[in-house]
Amino acid sequence: MTDRLTCLLCPIGCELEVEAGGGDVRVRGHQCDKGIDFASEEVLRPKRNLTTSVPLKGTVDRMVSVRLSDRVPREMIFPILAEITTLRPSAPVRRGDVLIADVCGTGVDVIATRTVASSG
Amino acid sequence: MTVFGMGKHGNVGVKTQGFATPLERLRDVDVAVIGGGPAGLAAALGASRAGAEVVILERGKRLGGILNQCIHDGFGLALYKESISGPEYAERLMDDVGREGIRVETGAMVLDLSADKILRVNSRSGYSLVRAKSVVLAMGCRERTRDMIEIPGDRPAGVWTAGTAQNLVNLQNLRLGNEIVILGSGDIGLIMARRLTFEGMKVKGVFEILPWVGGLERNVRQCLSDFSIPLELTTTVVDICGRDRLSSVVVSRVDEALKPLAGTEREIPCDTLLLSVGLIPENELSKRAGVELSPATGGAVVDEMFMTSVPGVFSCGNVLQIHDVADWASFEGFVAGKNAALHARGEIPTRGTIVRITPGAGVRYALPQIVRRSAAGVDLHFRVTAPRRNVWIEARGSASGTIFFRRKFPRLLPSELQKIKLTTAIDEDLEVAAHD
Repeated sequence: MTDRLTCLLCPIGCELEVEAGGGDVRVRGHQCDKGIDFASEEVLRPKRNLTTSVPLKGTVDRMVSVRLSDRVPREMIFPILAEITTLRPSAPVRRGDVLIADVCGTGVDVIATRTVASSG
Repeated sequence: MTVFGMGKHGNVGVKTQGFATPLERLRDVDVAVIGGGPAGLAAALGASRAGAEVVILERGKRLGGILNQCIHDGFGLALYKESISGPEYAERLMDDVGREGIRVETGAMVLDLSADKILRVNSRSGYSLVRAKSVVLAMGCRERTRDMIEIPGDRPAGVWTAGTAQNLVNLQNLRLGNEIVILGSGDIGLIMARRLTFEGMKVKGVFEILPWVGGLERNVRQCLSDFSIPLELTTTVVDICGRDRLSSVVVSRVDEALKPLAGTEREIPCDTLLLSVGLIPENELSKRAGVELSPATGGAVVDEMFMTSVPGVFSCGNVLQIHDVADWASFEGFVAGKNAALHARGEIPTRGTIVRITPGAGVRYALPQIVRRSAAGVDLHFRVTAPRRNVWIEARGSASGTIFFRRKFPRLLPSELQKIKLTTAIDEDLEVAAHD
């Protein structure tokens, strides 16, 4: 079976052709080696990062943006979002602070992507 | 110079309560950078590392510009070799700016810029003048609005540009509505489609008048396909309906001349319409200074040093040309800033004899538009007019027909700003064209 994919790892967005069959994955169209791993992963179990922002207490800056420390299987996106919705962190928050460790047992952390001082 | 006259005469009897009057406040700097986004921060770093005394004048409350609301990841791949979010990218540049000891003024709006590089600034501490040896324009861009694309219909609440929506959702925690239609397939529109889906809103479709997508391919896949959000090309919004609040839009397919096709109209109930229909470099200050602008880019005409037609005024980032990747706006900034520092020290030779680079068949624009004769190693930016496969890009001397650059690209898209290097010295006018 041949799949056509767009590589998501950088803005070049290589058009990949992936042939998967008999436990073997063959990739064409990649401009760098990362494309091979991406394509195999994308046909077997696609992974994504997740970014959102959550309200923050104790500051006039209302929000702190967050992301995952690494990509997770795509089907985990909405369960993790639900988990993040319960977050109500207080300032100060520093960029890189872990707000939820090992979220939903994925081994990946939810981290702050912005520094917010307490006075705001 | 009128401004100085005012300054001198302004001294007369206008000291109040021990404070200097605004008219007395004139500061000299080597390099003034207007705008503190990805391009301006990099320009300030480039200038400071080249030994100049620099001030960043930022209109907003904090540095970072549009990066602050771009909470999605994918930034930094070129500059930091990892995928980070917009706020992280901004903070890293800001950390460097702090380490360099660069002077930063936020809440400082430059009201006017003259050709002799006097800036009138309204800041937290009042009105003041800055006299710079070099100026870097890094004001970024604005979004095209409903008026500019002339969508007919009612004038209800619920119609937003995608970037404004991004600010309201990501920074102010506001809910825009429940059922969303997005017109235009620029990157911000695609990213907002995913973002609003995460926030529990129903995105009913993305509609694009052109036969191709305006944003990056990767965003179509990770923002639309992942969530089964429909994308319809050669389709546009032809009517907006609703008394107080938007209640529906009418979409219609278009013909090759982009005119709506009668009989293809379809009404889509929705309470919110986002517009992601293009960005316009914000060049009001550049015009005040007399900077020559290019109709093709909407930004300044620059040479290979990123210097505009006004000596000592440089331009970089989205105010120069619309970028698809922030890293590239920063790379432009580093170079423009460094050259601004060199100019401030009198180390940039006057232009002398120049050659011109013009777009040919299949190329929308080429930048820089002007190059000092015999310059070598010039980075040339260009965009194609339409998607092309297996296309040759050729830079050819207009007089001699000499080929200065020739390479085959497997695929080129209008959404992608391309950069190539012209290694040999350019000694005649060039035309950059795309051939099959």
